[in-house]
Amino acid sequence: MSEKTLPKAPRPQMNDLRIGVYVCHCGKNISGTVRCEEVARYAQGLPGVVLARDSLYTCSEPGQEQIKGDIKAHDLNRVVVASCTPRLHEPTFRAACESAGLNPYLLEMANIREHCSWVHLHDKDAATEKAKDLVAMAVSRAGRLAPQTEVTVSVMRKAMVIGGGVAGIQAALDLADAGYKVYLVERSGSIGGRMAQIDKTFPTMDCSICILAPKMSEAGRHPNIELLTLSEVTGVQGHIGNFHVRVLKKARYVTSECTSCADCISVCPQLAPDEFNAGLSIRRGIYIPFAQAVPSTFMIDMNICLNNQGIVACDRCFQACSKKCIDFADRDQELILDVGTIVVATGVDVYDPTSLTELGYGKFPNVITTLEFERLINAGGPSSGELIRPSDRERPKRVAFLQCIGSRSKRSNPYCSNVCCMNTIKDALLIKEHWPDTEITVYYVDIRAFGKGFEDLFQRARREGVTFIRGIPGEIIEDLATDDLTLLGENTLLGTPYRSTVDMVILSVGIKPRQDSELLQRLLNLATDTDGFYMEAHPKLKPVDTTTGGVFIAGAAEGPKDIKDSVTQASAAASRANILMSKGEVKIPAITAGIDPDKCTACGLCARVCPYHAIVGGKEEGLYRVIAAACQGCGACVPECRFGAIDQTHFTESQIVEQIDAALAGDPHKKILAFACNWCSYAGADFAGVSRIQYPHNVRIIRTMCSARVSPAWIERAFTKGAGAVLVSGCHPADCHYNNANQNTARRVERFWRRMEKLGINRDRLRLAWISAAEGAQFAKVIREMEAGLKTIKPAEIENAAKKLFREANKKSDAT
Amino acid sequence: MTIKIWKFFDREELYECYQCARCTGSCPAMEVTAALGPRGTILKCLNLGHEAVVQDEKVWFCCTCNVCDDRCPQQIPISDLLVALRNSAARRGNVPGRLLLSLELLAKTGRTMIVHQLDEMRAHHGLAPLPPAPVDEVRAILKRAGLEEVLDF
Ligand SMILES: Cc1cc2nc3c(=O)[nH]c(=O)nc-3n(C[C@H](O)[C@H](O)[C@H](O)COP(=O)(O)OP(=O)(O)OC[C@H]3O[C@@H](n4cnc5c(N)ncnc54)[C@H](O)[C@@H]3O)c2cc1C
Ligand code: SF4
Ligand code: SF4
Ligand code: SF4
Ligand code: SF4
Repeated sequence: MSEKTLPKAPRPQMNDLRIGVYVCHCGKNISGTVRCEEVARYAQGLPGVVLARDSLYTCSEPGQEQIKGDIKAHDLNRVVVASCTPRLHEPTFRAACESAGLNPYLLEMANIREHCSWVHLHDKDAATEKAKDLVAMAVSRAGRLAPQTEVTVSVMRKAMVIGGGVAGIQAALDLADAGYKVYLVERSGSIGGRMAQIDKTFPTMDCSICILAPKMSEAGRHPNIELLTLSEVTGVQGHIGNFHVRVLKKARYVTSECTSCADCISVCPQLAPDEFNAGLSIRRGIYIPFAQAVPSTFMIDMNICLNNQGIVACDRCFQACSKKCIDFADRDQELILDVGTIVVATGVDVYDPTSLTELGYGKFPNVITTLEFERLINAGGPSSGELIRPSDRERPKRVAFLQCIGSRSKRSNPYCSNVCCMNTIKDALLIKEHWPDTEITVYYVDIRAFGKGFEDLFQRARREGVTFIRGIPGEIIEDLATDDLTLLGENTLLGTPYRSTVDMVILSVGIKPRQDSELLQRLLNLATDTDGFYMEAHPKLKPVDTTTGGVFIAGAAEGPKDIKDSVTQASAAASRANILMSKGEVKIPAITAGIDPDKCTACGLCARVCPYHAIVGGKEEGLYRVIAAACQGCGACVPECRFGAIDQTHFTESQIVEQIDAALAGDPHKKILAFACNWCSYAGADFAGVSRIQYPHNVRIIRTMCSARVSPAWIERAFTKGAGAVLVSGCHPADCHYNNANQNTARRVERFWRRMEKLGINRDRLRLAWISAAEGAQFAKVIREMEAGLKTIKPAEIENAAKKLFREANKKSDAT
Repeated sequence: MTIKIWKFFDREELYECYQCARCTGSCPAMEVTAALGPRGTILKCLNLGHEAVVQDEKVWFCCTCNVCDDRCPQQIPISDLLVALRNSAARRGNVPGRLLLSLELLAKTGRTMIVHQLDEMRAHHGLAPLPPAPVDEVRAILKRAGLEEVLDF
């Protein structure tokens, strides 16, 4: 085949290459199935290899010493280790190379354990042959590796915390105490968040505002914290270490000289529902969110103020204010703030049960939510702490709590909201404490009392006479004369129906992602989980990092959680940010993309697919370029360029093409060439190995960081080389580690399918599969299915298809 | 394990039920007889297998009002399940006697009840007698629905 259709950059001079190959036995884990000595002998004969050894445990101290010694003694300039998955020991062997003076990027690994010995336990011959292929692929790629230096970027020693709930306050205080300047950006008029609204906190029954207020004022007066209330982030540019954040600070119309004397309140003619009291009371046009608010400055709600037309039609508050701190001329401000790290702590919204019409919320006055209850029972609330029912302001004698409202449901939020069980138990105890004769029944499905001190509180509630009935009412009926409520349901443990009448019903509503959480998600390139909460970089090991470097998450914005967990996470996030800032610089892995200015025609297609806006430039500049510090190395841009101007460091076109060619060197018709993304599908194949799930041995896996790196040209190359089948696999669409870059994967594969159809090639030979890191069984299943499909295809058909693709590709390149 | 209830239900559709009992709480049949309980029926399907359920007369109490479907947080097609269970029960000979009687009548006369009394009443009020029932068409429909497997007619 001509060089035109299968281009290849010139290979480094073979006699310059000095590759050392190490085939690991991994005790019996590999050598139990793969004949390691035979593989090493085979490797010895591969071009460029000057030495090949097999060893019992390559990762052990002696194993590493061997490599280091060989690098020096034999002047090795590439090292290939055939062992376990690179996801495990790549850092180990890179460090060994580096300490022997070899650039760590000159190491290559062949995964002959998870992807070979563990998944072909019963076929030693096939496993050994496959191991040889995998080693040959690694050796070919190694020949193309180049030394890299990781770029260092400086990290500005300032932080921003978005959201001033308990999590945001804690993160800001920790960072400020560590000596960094912190901007605390809060949307509402005061910091405090949900915790400020709660009366007491489970499991200790502390007074919520009593323990929060000191932290709030500390944050308010801390010399390192700049509090920005009524403020929102509207734009973010830059990258780890150097973010430029645009903040819109809305006008307050009252200056900081305000002493919160409240003289202005009574004169204001305008009224609105009081948000802090969950709408159970009213406030004026000029107001302070709540007594302990920080900053303790009043504010004017311009939506209802009579001066909202831009002319002063009313100045009663101004007249009433002896300090004259009301300023109708105040205007919104836009600030640009430069910070090195960002902590997102925007918390949660509370579920609105209006749509569950069978419960009558919003229709029956005596059906309220737990958030409304918190305000009702609070001494600073609308009823001064008296428990009253809304219809007649009488004290209810019979109270029912309904659990899981808006949670664990496909009709609303599918997840468990985590806090509502304990919150109800706390609320029930509060009622019992003040009015012990109240009959309280909790209708529940499961009581989730999993935390420290939780079970104790649950038992206490039962001891004090709270009745727990398993079975949520299907319907609530209101008595029009008395406003009493009748609940219809089934006691599932007794298996008998109930029909019970109460004075008041409290719906234990769940919590959910902020309605506008998508905005920050977009601005900061965060990922969200299927429930809409911001996603952590790793659920176990990086729980407060995000997939965007330098951005951390804390509190309920990451998932439903209580105060203690929110505070713990906040301190963790602050500490992670602190590590970055105290070092003052970060190293970026050398896997970024680069654009060749000579080839770039400034078409801008690449910039459109980059999920991190890391490609800048334009027609005026005559080219586009990659900002290395912002590039996360997904490689999505590379296949997008029609002029071959982009390549990705350490995952170069020529490196991967070498792997493809080596994989298909023998018996291509029988082989499945699989591209797997590092985070999900490659890890999923690893997991199949760890779980010893057996699957056909004719698959050869090539790793890329993201499935979006997979170029249609590679698929074409594989088929023209006669590959039986090709698999492109990546994370499930919502789980992509590069901000949905894998939508490009789907688009490109679909395009290739259409091309196959046009040429009359069986499109089933190309498969696209979303396989997560946990889906080892799924990976095995896909390979099994592909193998079954492959069995039905005749070699002549494969040959024929290869010719068609080849001819078409030739025609295309002749035309251009 | 797959529960074969006629062909169109398997375990996958039921296991998401976490026994909250909102369905039973909304069920009007429960007002008449505490016995039906869609929740309990689902639990029995899951724990004991559907054979245990189709022996039970209770599956015939559902009036297919679909309220449970509406309120189920897990969107389990409960009333469809109950229809399937009744189909399955019928094939095993579990059909309440009175229902069987109505079916027989329907197959024979095209009507679910005996109407000469009705005709007398109509005559008394000066109304014309009822038109003849389309027995053949009704029988054809019953055949299509598979009634032969349950009843000789
Ligand atoms: C009814 C109820 C009762 C509860 N009872 C208890 C209890 O007894 N014990 C317990 O441990 N936990 C309880 N919780 C849970 C507790 O409220 C949360 O764990 C805690 O509030 C989470 O803190 P946070 O800072 O993450 O979020 P939040 O408290 O929600 O604070 C987030 C802050 O961010 C601000 N914000 C949001 N979006 C933006 C934006 N885009 N820009 C700037 N600012 C923004 C908000 O205005 C808010 O001030 C209860 C929750 C509810 C709903
Ligand atoms: S100016 Fe606005 S805030 Fe002040 S009293 Fe009048 S309406 Fe109220
Ligand atoms: S915490 Fe309890 S009430 Fe809340 S969703 Fe979970 S199980 Fe239901
Ligand atoms: S698309 Fe991916 S590889 Fe390309 S510049 Fe953007 S982040 Fe980097
Ligand atoms: S309402 Fe749905 S989830 Fe609840 S018990 Fe009935 S079928 Fe199960």
